[in-house]
Amino acid sequence: MNEKLKTYNSVFKETFGIDESKLIDLKYQDIIEWDSVGHMGLMASLEDAFKIEMEIDDIIDFSSYKKGMEILLKYNISFNE
Amino acid sequence: MNSDSQKLGLFYDIPEIKKCQQNRYPLLFVDKVFDVKPGISAKGIKCFSYNEWFFPAHFEDEPNVPGFIQIETLVQTFIMTFLTLEEHKGKKTNFLSINNVKFKRKIIPGEQLIIHANLDSFRRGIAKGSAAGFINEQLTCSAEFIVAIPDILNTFKPSI
Repeated sequence: MNEKLKTYNSVFKETFGIDESKLIDLKYQDIIEWDSVGHMGLMASLEDAFKIEMEIDDIIDFSSYKKGMEILLKYNISFNE
Repeated sequence: MNSDSQKLGLFYDIPEIKKCQQNRYPLLFVDKVFDVKPGISAKGIKCFSYNEWFFPAHFEDEPNVPGFIQIETLVQTFIMTFLTLEEHKGKKTNFLSINNVKFKRKIIPGEQLIIHANLDSFRRGIAKGSAAGFINEQLTCSAEFIVAIPDILNTFKPSI
């Protein structure tokens, strides 16, 4: 697992208190913690962790763990290095 | 607005406060807000008269201001730090968290609480900051707040 993926996963785990094994299929509102407030917390933590500032359209499109990985590619954060 | 309040920043009386926030009697706990620097800080005044609805019940033999009302007084000044910005005026707010709440002494009828509130950050509808209340310049209560504007949070909800 590369460092960026470790960081990505740890942000999800810390924000939502979720086990890593449940991340891969995780979608917005699958768990009570990922509501509109949790979403803002997740976005803020990802921005801090990767030192980026996400665009509004990307925040709205960020609807799942997998979709988030696609979106972060736009910010030169690749999980396949 | 008189010249003194202009020197001290923006001043809000009750009708002006009601234009900014949606708290109303019997749950509006700030009488005046002054020295407002929108997006940065605000100061508030709350005068506690024995005519307040809660004093006869809290407590009959020893009236003092309940802790939850002190917190409301602090946060209602705090939200004026961002609800005075034109784009947020009149919006509803929700608590997300309250931390480091401290009560230093009782507040009794006849006392006037002066609140100093600071906004540390405001991003995508989430405000973080703190407020402290003073009586006769003595620290009386304080807390740190995270408060949301649900209308703004909802504009960032993922589409599913």
